[in-house]
Amino acid sequence: MNSTVATLTARSLLGRRRTLVLLLLPLALLALCTLARVLAGLDPDIERDLEGPLAPDLLGAFGIAVLMPLLSLIAGTGSIGPEIDEGSIVYLLAKPLNRHSIVVTKLLVAIGVTVAFGVLPIAVAGVVLTGEVGTVTLAYAAGALVAGVAYCAVFLLLAVVSRNAVVIGLIYALVWESLVGAVVPGAQSLSIQQWSLSVVQRALGDSARRSGIEAAVGFGVGTLLLAVVTVTATTLAGRRLQTLRLNQSE
Amino acid sequence: MSEHAVPDRGAPARAGAIHDIGYRHYDGPRHGARYIQRSLFVETLRGTYGLGRSARSKVMPFLLLGLMVLPAVVMGIITSYVGLTAVPVRYTDYVMLVQLVVTIFVGSQSPAVMSRDLRFRVASLYFCRPLSRRQYVQAKLAGMTVALFILMGLPVTLLFCSALLAELPLDEQVPDYLRAMAGVAIHAVVLAAVGLLVAALTPRRGLGVAAVVAVLLVLSGMELTVRGLASAFGNDTFLGYTGLISPYTLVDGVVTGALGADSSGGQAPPGALGTVLFTLVTVVLLAACYSALVARYRKALG
Amino acid sequence: MSAVEIDQVSRWFGNVVAVNDITMRLDAGVTGLLGPNGAGKSTLIHLMAGFLAPSAGTVTLDGEPVYRDPEIYRRVGLVPEREEMYDAVNGWSFVLANARLHKLRDPESAARRAIATVEMADSQHRDIRGYSKGMKQRIKMATAIVHDPAVLLLDEPFNGMDPRQRLHLMELLDRLGAEGRTIVFSSHILEEVEQIAGRIEVMVAGRHAASGDFREIRRLMTQRPHQYTIQSSDDRALASALIAQPSVSGVELTSGTDGSIVAVQATDFAAFVHALPRVAAREGIRLLEVRPADESLESVFAYLVAR
Repeated sequence: MNSTVATLTARSLLGRRRTLVLLLLPLALLALCTLARVLAGLDPDIERDLEGPLAPDLLGAFGIAVLMPLLSLIAGTGSIGPEIDEGSIVYLLAKPLNRHSIVVTKLLVAIGVTVAFGVLPIAVAGVVLTGEVGTVTLAYAAGALVAGVAYCAVFLLLAVVSRNAVVIGLIYALVWESLVGAVVPGAQSLSIQQWSLSVVQRALGDSARRSGIEAAVGFGVGTLLLAVVTVTATTLAGRRLQTLRLNQSE
Repeated sequence: MSEHAVPDRGAPARAGAIHDIGYRHYDGPRHGARYIQRSLFVETLRGTYGLGRSARSKVMPFLLLGLMVLPAVVMGIITSYVGLTAVPVRYTDYVMLVQLVVTIFVGSQSPAVMSRDLRFRVASLYFCRPLSRRQYVQAKLAGMTVALFILMGLPVTLLFCSALLAELPLDEQVPDYLRAMAGVAIHAVVLAAVGLLVAALTPRRGLGVAAVVAVLLVLSGMELTVRGLASAFGNDTFLGYTGLISPYTLVDGVVTGALGADSSGGQAPPGALGTVLFTLVTVVLLAACYSALVARYRKALG
Repeated sequence: MSAVEIDQVSRWFGNVVAVNDITMRLDAGVTGLLGPNGAGKSTLIHLMAGFLAPSAGTVTLDGEPVYRDPEIYRRVGLVPEREEMYDAVNGWSFVLANARLHKLRDPESAARRAIATVEMADSQHRDIRGYSKGMKQRIKMATAIVHDPAVLLLDEPFNGMDPRQRLHLMELLDRLGAEGRTIVFSSHILEEVEQIAGRIEVMVAGRHAASGDFREIRRLMTQRPHQYTIQSSDDRALASALIAQPSVSGVELTSGTDGSIVAVQATDFAAFVHALPRVAAREGIRLLEVRPADESLESVFAYLVAR
């Protein structure tokens, strides 16, 4: 972890436009949760739904399935992609710095951004929905956290390896995990979504069954795969950085 | 070859001469701004599918086109061989079904249409020709709209063809198909407007793609959730208006209300007032995106 | 003093051979890497900087290979060709960040020194986003010298600089070279290279076409006749006397900017230089001006490129 690299990364990541796009996502979530709360105050049916399917819908299907991948995509690719694209990565590479430490630092910055714009808002949303910092809030926050970490690592690797990292990442997170995952049962076990869901399921304990949350993999397998994918992606990214070819001006 | 010596102004003999090397000034008829606009339109349209660009830029759009068409082909085959009495998915529902792929297409190609000119500061080259900002924006919008029309229209048409091949009754299929194609046209222009505007506002490479997809996905997700809340709330009017939130359901609402299709979202806009509102919002959205795009190019050196 | 040794290095990308069997040794002083666009100069500099692996041969710095060894950057500074930097910070912060990344003991004073050397002290607190091209080049230069490297590699450093800045950079490189550092810079602008490079290495289409002092190279180009223009008191007599000489292959009576001249093509430079005054003295012709017409780097270069 190198603080200079971290500062440079953070400053280029949190440019005005990118920050605006990043803000859009948690604001949408919080708006929805507030609306749900307000409606719940007006209608006992919805009040009941808050205990039931609403939290999984909002925090799970919207929060972990849509928000976290998009945020991690923007943060993960944004923490190294533009520098490689523009060639300014040379200022980090032409230094006596360990390539792995560069990658890890950037990953930590990306995770930090994802936590600030994703995990924390999801926790807040959980509080808004349930009215307390309870099991639901913590479960989904934990799920969001592990999802964010894994996604950031994978997307950072993608950004080092390919210039079309964002589109590839989108196709993975949206088409593979949602569409294909819904149709092809096997695909679900290779999905960061499902692994995070297993964490949520475990954290919710018994109420998971009540809310109908069923992850495709067990808790042990899920966390193991999350860890393996995160570490592998980070290591590969570091190794790729050692032999990165700088491109000439276009 | 004639030589025209420039008269020297009394300076010592370093004579200069202008040589005629055959350069001819063109004084003949030139095409006007319309021609430029049309060329820009064609180039934009071809560019969204990677034609006229590198081989690599063709991969994504054709891959996505394939993903769009695949379900239609599969369904068509099933209809013919299994002998269904109707196509498995209504024509008007198809776009809603594959909206994710459409979203990714809009996301990945809008920056290709808008951001490249801005990022490399080439936009000013367009404006030093007799081409106004409006014409530039119109050409780009038209190109993207037609590209999306092809993207969404092709699978729906294939589905229709398979219905014809399966000899399903025409009087059921044709009106639905026509309604669906009208819907596709409106979807195309709305998505093009929104996508190009977001892309024009985020010229940095990767960010444009993510921003467009984020906007469309978040709005879709919000609409879905609010619809869920509204149906739990039990108020049908509220439920009817949730479609205003997302472009996909907005257009679907217009098609349902104005053209009499069955809603793909679950609830038609309530009554004539609902239809008028949906249509109005669509038109206002288009106008707003268009104006914002034209305004964006006010400082063309962008 | 650090030496970069390039030993029979080739680098290809698929079917394209960017660098073709080049051997050279670069040590103290300023070396200019000269060649047309696409000659492979940038590739060679990237090879020297450890950002590309040679497909064949070795690139070493003081005996150790440079590829995949981040530690060499303590001794090597690179000024990249691309313009883009971290736009969101100001010049001072950027140079300071570079100093810190080099793990210098006193990054602030190193950064201050570097910025003063490139004369950017006035604009150092403005965002890099607002810098002109020449200012960006100077900040790039500052980041490359902030850690006092023994080897300095510059890829097209004079791009975008105005004459005053160029002069300043040339003085700087000259001074650094005189201090015993190994300076290598690439350019396709001959005047720049001519003025400060003690040695030039000419690259054409990936091959090492020539090296050394450019006047010496000219001497070595024996297949090509040397051209001279001579102004004299009696051109025709001189011309007819010269054509009788074995070292002369052609004479032409023509007019230049100042009047009539004799244009001579000499195949044997050394013999001609001796023969000319003897001939003139014998014929009683006064020589007003004798000028070698093609002993500029430009003509050397044009010849090498056209081969």
